Amino acid sequence: MTFLRKLALTTALVAGLSAPVAAEDVKFGLLQDFTAVYTFVTGQYNQGQQDYLALANAEGVLGQGNSVTAIVRDTGNQPQRGIEAYNRAKEEGAVLFDFLSTPVSAAILDQAQADKNVVITPAHGRGDASDGTVFPYVFPMMPTYWAQAAALIEHMKNNGGLEGKKIAIVHIDSPFGREPGPILEALSEQEKFEFQAFPYASPGNEQSAAWSEVRRYRPDYVLIWGAGGGQAVSVKTAIQNGIRPEQIHSVIWLAETDAANVGPAMKGVKRFEATASGTDHPIIQRIQEKVIDAGKGSGEAANVGTSYYNLGVATMAVAVEAARLGLEGGQPLTGEGLKAGFEKIAGFDAEGLMPAVTYTAEDHQGGGAGRVSEWDGEKWVPVSDWHAAYPDLIRQVIEESAAKYAAEH
Amino acid sequence: MFYRLSGTYHTSYAADRKLWKIPTDRWLVIALLVLALLAPLYVSPLYLGSYVLPWVIWSAAALSLTLLMGLAGQLHFGFAAVMAIGAYASIHLVRAGVPFELSLLLSGLISAVIGAVFGGAALRVKGLYLVMATLAMQYLVDWVVVNVPAISGGAHATLRTPAVSFLFLPVESLAARYWLALAWAVLLTVFFMNVKRTSFGRALVAIRDKDFAAAVIGVDPFKTKLMAFFTSSFMGGVTGAILAFCFYRAVTPEQFGFNVSIQLVAMVLVGGLGSVIGSWLGAGFVLLAPIFLTNLVSSLAASGWVPVSQNFLSHLPLMIYGAMIIGFLLLEPLGLAKIYDNIRKYFLVWPFRHARS
Repeated sequence: MTFLRKLALTTALVAGLSAPVAAEDVKFGLLQDFTAVYTFVTGQYNQGQQDYLALANAEGVLGQGNSVTAIVRDTGNQPQRGIEAYNRAKEEGAVLFDFLSTPVSAAILDQAQADKNVVITPAHGRGDASDGTVFPYVFPMMPTYWAQAAALIEHMKNNGGLEGKKIAIVHIDSPFGREPGPILEALSEQEKFEFQAFPYASPGNEQSAAWSEVRRYRPDYVLIWGAGGGQAVSVKTAIQNGIRPEQIHSVIWLAETDAANVGPAMKGVKRFEATASGTDHPIIQRIQEKVIDAGKGSGEAANVGTSYYNLGVATMAVAVEAARLGLEGGQPLTGEGLKAGFEKIAGFDAEGLMPAVTYTAEDHQGGGAGRVSEWDGEKWVPVSDWHAAYPDLIRQVIEESAAKYAAEH
Repeated sequence: MFYRLSGTYHTSYAADRKLWKIPTDRWLVIALLVLALLAPLYVSPLYLGSYVLPWVIWSAAALSLTLLMGLAGQLHFGFAAVMAIGAYASIHLVRAGVPFELSLLLSGLISAVIGAVFGGAALRVKGLYLVMATLAMQYLVDWVVVNVPAISGGAHATLRTPAVSFLFLPVESLAARYWLALAWAVLLTVFFMNVKRTSFGRALVAIRDKDFAAAVIGVDPFKTKLMAFFTSSFMGGVTGAILAFCFYRAVTPEQFGFNVSIQLVAMVLVGGLGSVIGSWLGAGFVLLAPIFLTNLVSSLAASGWVPVSQNFLSHLPLMIYGAMIIGFLLLEPLGLAKIYDNIRKYFLVWPFRHARS
């Protein structure tokens, strides 16, 4: 009996002593679509994520010997493969997931909530998940499509005015394409402009029918709301139909590759951005130095500094910061701890790569600040400051939609 | 030797018409059924939930489609749309307060009616033209689902399935969802094997082989083709509902897109047209091979065996997968079912060389 008691005591003592010493390897599941629909963004985005994680490990951001590992898998945008990848990564101990795919995120949302694992949906996914009281484990992290639409409208207001003007919204015919609808409706009353929607069929390789109608509508401003190859087609067809590039305002999904596809005519087109592009930022330069030049990069070095690469870097910068805060108590990091870490983040701007974000238990969007940038022929040049447009309206739309969701389930 | 025939004499018509005449076959089927039933006890939740459960459901879908494509010879490239109708119908019925058991049947009926309406096109066109007509169905259904908020569930187009119970058992735990799906797949399998032996099944085969020849011997092509579309769409609709309630538990339009239709056609073709075991093998192959290959290639990469970029790494499994499909079809154009059949026939008379089927 004494022997047993001794044994139990020693075991407890050893366990108690060794627990805080053990360095932890935090795992993030980056289970994305590299092969089907989201290929226009995933390659560069995921490369940025992996390179930032390599930088964070090299610099010991998490402290106390802790490290962070990415579990990367292709889901091909198929929900059943996403479910498999999620369950497997969960068994391997991942506490944060980024699917970068609307159908896969939708299929896993409930399971992740039940498992208390954090799902980040930066710049995609449902906007009402920004309401942390209804979706405690989902973090949109960055401006929702609603906030993006509001930012673009506000930019039009400040540069040419809105009263009595006409806005054409040319969008892909899908739930994603219809996201800005409610915001435009609410703002058209407030700012006294009129607007009309012109949908084109997915995937948007051919949009002439929509644009010849836009031409007849004679809009003052044009919003384009699509993703991937369809975006370059939108800009090209718009210009063919007599729309000036300066009139065109795009959702976040317009990047360097699209500009290359459009050619010189692209100069003057504006888009929303949630993170700065280019290599002229402390974090990107340190990645160049410590990861890329050291031969530890996860893809082509030419991609470093592109819009989507920097977007990926920013998502992981925030996630690693959340993990660092979650680990502060010294306990192993669980999904719950990571969520708490996210909600401790205040005024974090990844050394100027993104606007300062603050997450609270209610606001998982982080304020919704972004800015508008313009293509100058070679790169994206910001034409406004980091700030949130119409934050009260956006918050109201988020809460209404989340309340509706909560009531239905 | 392994499928012993000695001592097996069929002395009555009933014995000769048995589904499994050879005792080994019978024992194999029973063993598989027992293994499948007990799966929740010995398969880890990871494999049960992400491999076995979807395999069982997609096998049921492939069986539904192969009734139409394999038995009746009517090509259908919009079968995911049929399943979508079933899934959405069942969710809306359950939400409206209809009991789950009844809404499964009703969702099957709704899919069957809509599927038969589109199948009506089959009465006038054949082959590639029928493919076009069914493709139109796929796109029309997709369009309606996306554009009618009352169906798709509004802005975010995600509908969660309500909690339901089947014959007083809550369909909540993984095991319960698996057993329900398994029961449906087994029911379809038994139905399919028996339908081949009925006058309806023989009429389908006659239509497949030559529809005007079938008309000459007294099979009404109009009625039979419509019945084929109706039956197959009913099975597909219920499978769609099972898929929604037992596997995804949330329905979005993308789950039933055109690519899913192509996957289903691939399952039927790779497995072997009109074959039961082919549907199971084909569904397993098309559904699980990419997952296994992705994990295999990733683990090889993690251990430093394939030092390539993430982008290439993600496409490598697809290349292997494509090569495997071509390889299998070159090796045996009649599909995986025929490969199994060849193996079985080889062992039927092993160590001798010639088999008598």
